[in-house]
Amino acid sequence: MRRMQWGHLLTAGLGAVLVLFIVGPLLRLLFRASPAGLLAAFQDPELGQSIALTLFTATTATAIGIVLGVPLAYLLARTRFPGRRLLQGIIDLPVVVPHPVAGIALVLFLGRRSPLGGALAELGLEFVSHVPGIVAAMLFVSAPILVSGAREAFAAVDPHLERVARSLGDRPWTAFRRVTLPLAGRGVLAATVLAWARSVSEFGAIVVITYNPKVASVFVFDRFTSFGLGAAIPAAVILLLVALAVFAIVRLLDTRELE
Amino acid sequence: MIRLEAVGLRVGTFELRDITLDVPRGGYGLVIGPSGSGKTTLLEAVAGLAPIKSGRITVQGEDVTNRPPERRGVGVVYQRYHLFPHFSVADNIGYGLTQSRHLKAERQARVHELAAGLGIEHLLERGVRHLSGGEAQRVALARALAPRPHTLLLDEPFASLDPATRQDMRHLLRTVHESQGITVLQVTHDFDEALRLGDVVAVMADGAIVQRGTPEEVFRYPNSAFVARFIGAANVIAGMVTRSGSAGIDTRTFPAEFRSDGLALDVIADREGPAHAVVQPEDLVLSRESHASSARNHLAAVVLSMERAGPLTYVHLDAGRRLLAAVTTQSAETMGLAAGDRIVATVKATAIHLV
Repeated sequence: MRRMQWGHLLTAGLGAVLVLFIVGPLLRLLFRASPAGLLAAFQDPELGQSIALTLFTATTATAIGIVLGVPLAYLLARTRFPGRRLLQGIIDLPVVVPHPVAGIALVLFLGRRSPLGGALAELGLEFVSHVPGIVAAMLFVSAPILVSGAREAFAAVDPHLERVARSLGDRPWTAFRRVTLPLAGRGVLAATVLAWARSVSEFGAIVVITYNPKVASVFVFDRFTSFGLGAAIPAAVILLLVALAVFAIVRLLDTRELE
Repeated sequence: MIRLEAVGLRVGTFELRDITLDVPRGGYGLVIGPSGSGKTTLLEAVAGLAPIKSGRITVQGEDVTNRPPERRGVGVVYQRYHLFPHFSVADNIGYGLTQSRHLKAERQARVHELAAGLGIEHLLERGVRHLSGGEAQRVALARALAPRPHTLLLDEPFASLDPATRQDMRHLLRTVHESQGITVLQVTHDFDEALRLGDVVAVMADGAIVQRGTPEEVFRYPNSAFVARFIGAANVIAGMVTRSGSAGIDTRTFPAEFRSDGLALDVIADREGPAHAVVQPEDLVLSRESHASSARNHLAAVVLSMERAGPLTYVHLDAGRRLLAAVTTQSAETMGLAAGDRIVATVKATAIHLV
């Protein structure tokens, strides 16, 4: 009994170090920003533009991810086909690719000199150093989160429920809409929000493919390298607050599911 | 009416082969077999939920082989009910009604009518998460019946119910079946259920039907040792048949002797060689002393133990090998049977079924 209590204490102590390590820097950052500096940052049109750009590109990337990834997630959850595991592995691949490497790969794939990039540029869609490049980088890094989250949400719904719905007169799409979607919906939504947050926080791939116009993370980095720590702090705090807001929403969805 | 003709299908590594089955209109068919024999898959094939590779399925006189499940008019009740967790009991029951432009009032009336018939009206406004097994079962049944299917498929509907509820549900199902003229195909692993409910029984093993017929036929004349053991014929004895006399008036059969370790029985056989003898427990008659009768086998036996099961008492015997007899509890008491007693077990040659 005593031995176990010591074990508990040790575990709690080790955990506390990690928790402090996470909370400490963030709190320090939040309190380092002077009110005057924050006010100035809010009034800085460049920062406002970069945050607007970030929200716009992250939302676009997420929307594309939903259209391309959610049906795929359903397929992965519901059907068995040859190569299914391989496909799942491919979807998860971006997680292990270092983000600047992903950026370089995207530049090579979508740049004007590649067959695809060249053809798209002819049609007026340019990636490198343009906004679509940001969306591409965000989609690349957030797709695994969206697809695996949605896949798990779908897999958690018993497939028999849809079969019962079919036997009661529903066409496949109707059964999906009336049964699977409502039951998996919250999980899919949580995956969507996480993927969106991943896009907002992306830096490494974006900085390679599109430095300008600057998304918020690139903007903070640029302030840091050009003007030093003090200049980067207000922008960093605002970006952090946006991230925390998203995090709070996800947590709220999560707890509702538990109840 | 449900008719399957040479139906074959494959789900992953699992295969159903050459399934042929006929349940008449308004009939009650039972598919029995051990778990993993393909019973549920067979039901899903009838419902259109498992695509078939070969053969033909006819329901209510119409070829539905290529029809999607929603246009087959077949209701399904799964073993684990699978109620929609995001709907109330009433919305679960009414699920199949909303699609076909049912007016709201009409739909409500139908839901109430079914709930009243199944004794679950008081549950209508509740969620489905905390229902008891029997309640969930009734809701699932009401949901399946709501769109007035001509055919109902039941997958082990009583498996997870307590005995009292099971009795109620059996009665209820029989009533529903008879009053509405619905054709039923039910899966079970319990042969007693088949005897109680079924008009037609099919025994499945490893993805194929190994025997079909009336429950009585299957119970009395199992066509293999597998079926005999599975349906719970307690005395299945492997041995050898040798001819002992000439053929009777019916030239197909002849008197013979069946020999097994420590046991010799007079039997009526239609072939010689290795066979299984199946003796129903109630065909073993127990007495204190042997009554001379040439048409009977008399086996000296010792009572090993007794098991009382309501009106019947099962008596485990050692007659050179173990046998199980069933006598009425009343006669067991009259005889004063007890473990260790030396008795005589008698069985008619015609009551020994050779497979």
